[in-house]
Amino acid sequence: MDHFPTNWGRPRNDAFDAYGTYPLAQRPYNGPKDTFEAGVQRTQQPIVTGTSVLALKYKDGIMMAADNLASYGSLARFKDIQRLHPVGNNTVIGAGGDMSDFQYIQSLLDSLMIEEFTAQDGHSLGPAELHEYLAQVMYGRRSKINPLWNSLIVGGFKDGKRFLSYVDLLGTTYSASTLATGYGAYIAQPLLRKAVEGYEDVLTEEQAEKIMTECLKVLFYRDARSLNKYQIATITTKGVNLSESRSLDTTWSFAEGIRGYGAQTQ
Amino acid sequence: MPDMVSLSRAASGQPSQFKTPYSENGGTILAVAGSRFCVVAGDTRRTDGYSQTRYAPKVFRLTDKAVLAVNGFSADGNMFVNKVRQQLEWYRHGHARDMPLHEIARLMQTMLYARRFFPYYVSNILSGIEEDGSGAVYTFDSVGSYERDTCRVAGAAQSFMQPYLDNQDDWYTRPSVHYKNQRSTHSSSRPTQLPLSSVLSLVMDSFVNASERHVEVGDGLEIYVVLAKGSSLQGLEKLTGAQEVTATSDGERVFTVRRSLRRD
Amino acid sequence: MMNSFADRFSTTGPIAELRKAQANVEDDQFSDAAWGSEAGFGSLAKGVPAFTVPNVPDPSAFLRLHTDDHADPNCRIKIQHGTTTLAFRFQGGVIVAVDSRATAGSYVASGTVKKVIEINPYLLGTMAGGAADCQFWETYLGMHCRLHELRQRERISVSAASKYLSNLVYSYKGMGLSMGTMICGWDKTGPAVFYVDSDGTRLKGDLFSVGSGSTFAYGVLDQGYRWDLTDEEAQELGRRSIYAAGHRDAFSGNTCNLYHVKEDGWRFIGNYDISQMHYEGPTGTGTGYGYDLRVEGRTSANPPPAAAAA
Repeated sequence: MDHFPTNWGRPRNDAFDAYGTYPLAQRPYNGPKDTFEAGVQRTQQPIVTGTSVLALKYKDGIMMAADNLASYGSLARFKDIQRLHPVGNNTVIGAGGDMSDFQYIQSLLDSLMIEEFTAQDGHSLGPAELHEYLAQVMYGRRSKINPLWNSLIVGGFKDGKRFLSYVDLLGTTYSASTLATGYGAYIAQPLLRKAVEGYEDVLTEEQAEKIMTECLKVLFYRDARSLNKYQIATITTKGVNLSESRSLDTTWSFAEGIRGYGAQTQ
Repeated sequence: MPDMVSLSRAASGQPSQFKTPYSENGGTILAVAGSRFCVVAGDTRRTDGYSQTRYAPKVFRLTDKAVLAVNGFSADGNMFVNKVRQQLEWYRHGHARDMPLHEIARLMQTMLYARRFFPYYVSNILSGIEEDGSGAVYTFDSVGSYERDTCRVAGAAQSFMQPYLDNQDDWYTRPSVHYKNQRSTHSSSRPTQLPLSSVLSLVMDSFVNASERHVEVGDGLEIYVVLAKGSSLQGLEKLTGAQEVTATSDGERVFTVRRSLRRD
Repeated sequence: MMNSFADRFSTTGPIAELRKAQANVEDDQFSDAAWGSEAGFGSLAKGVPAFTVPNVPDPSAFLRLHTDDHADPNCRIKIQHGTTTLAFRFQGGVIVAVDSRATAGSYVASGTVKKVIEINPYLLGTMAGGAADCQFWETYLGMHCRLHELRQRERISVSAASKYLSNLVYSYKGMGLSMGTMICGWDKTGPAVFYVDSDGTRLKGDLFSVGSGSTFAYGVLDQGYRWDLTDEEAQELGRRSIYAAGHRDAFSGNTCNLYHVKEDGWRFIGNYDISQMHYEGPTGTGTGYGYDLRVEGRTSANPPPAAAAA
């Protein structure tokens, strides 16, 4: 037995000759082996990806925003992808990360809603229930080492209560009055917090929308995987309202005047 | 030492981007056993790299005599708490009473050990009132080894807070300088404990200190106090923000106290 | 029959829903390993516990990647370790002595660990290696020793008990279990000590020491060991050996727990503070094992007797 305590509790290393029986025969691997290992495909890295999703609480409910881009590596591949997905009448799911996994989640949730509907028991799944369900699914998949490669924000309004929560590919969950995924967590979240924290019950829809577009603009300028075409969703007493795709008023013309980095050194 | 992963096929095979199913969400938990009470506390910050959220509890009431604090990877922690609660509920249906604390501790060992080869990345501290009315703390490692203790810290600020608590002068009857919390398992030195009010201020102080010095500790402090059956409130009634969360009416009583910590 | 066939392939109904739920949500596998705790109704019906294993091509590589290691301190999961243990046979029975320190990485996680596991009134197991591995499997062994008693109407022999354990851990060989244990007791053959470890080794012998401090303990033990030690001499030898390990090995220390197994079962002798033994000796009245020996006459504050006279 290996008497060094920090090696304990770990699988033994067959390359280490604990008993000094050198030369140590290089033993063949006799552990469990899956013949079709290479044929099993799991999302081990995202392929077609979406970037940030932003969400905040305001007076009337929840507002969420996401741009319409799905990137293929650094290529801006699909520019009309919808990353905010309404589920039922009280909830919107926003996704960053792998878009095919997100589409799978959409179909999962849609069939879940249909199943619940067919029960006709007078209950419907609200944002809290959907978030719990998603958290279990995401955690379950990570526990199978076969994650759904997404960061999801669940926003909703039901029974007079606002709901805003986050779940990611590891099953980690958060709740706060402002949330952002991807680069938004670094760039937009501080701006959102400054504008929203403490004002959740006074911000109007117009004000909230202004905050959102500001954040999206900053993201567009700083996040190379973003797009100036976006959608905004609100979830209020009136239910879900998902906007048409809109354009941000952005310009790169000022870039001409910038000197000192990039290709322009003079 | 030779390279420990040299023979590992996972390391030498195709590169996979999904490197780990774990993450570390910071925070610190703490429990102290009194003679007829116990105090369990945890901060409410949850970090994920540079992101953080301000209110994500990691101390949970299991029954009126047991409180569980979990620290480490929060998704594992929450899942584990859910599973313990489910077991306790089944137990309640089968036995028409709550599971005693030492039984919960053994249950947790078997549950944690079932994941010996795919561990829950969680440090657990279980605390509550034993059947003899004494306050108890049980600490676990991530794969289920456990021990009854009187005072235990786990998590990010463990190395700040545990020595601080070990060094409280009147913690033990023996007034020696460097033995303090490191005494014997078998001798009759079950320490005479501090009164509840002192423990509470000690707990609050240590979290204030930890939030000064550790970036992963802060935002809020959530304290659970469990009082043995029939014991008085010992000043809890005068404590601002103390709230009773007891479910039954004739046994131990559970209270929560919330405080804010540094938010920066 | 028909129903179960239909259930298997139907896409509606409770069984189909359960199947769908299980496909998505994590498998609830712990219940098999959680013996004796199915809702608190103790049950051995399921036999050997089953464990959740990560769904990767090489599970033990996964575990190696994530549990702590001196070569890679960034590994997240710290498992508690136990460190110096010893047991020896002599004319008066078996002496079992252990330290009480548990380390997680370089952190002293506890100084009050019970490393002697009381399997039953006639059997003791010691704990070195992964603390959870030892606690769990020796508890499990205790259950099976009791079952043996109920089935065979006699106490299990130390040999059989240790073989049960060694077969058990051998079946998990290579998965990462780590325990180096001595199963000690008294049976029809008299005092017995067996060394069992997670590699599957099982040895019968008179004297063993296990753990990172074992070399230090062996030094003292081998020097002082005789078959015809008196009870007091034997207990003192055990104590001193653990003291030596606690003094020189960074992963051992805090206190020493001492047990003596005789014909009528084991008896707990005492708990001794190792630093107190260093300065004052085990009883606190005699001379210490270490300090005075090393410093007497070495400083002006503590002059040698001759110098004092002059």
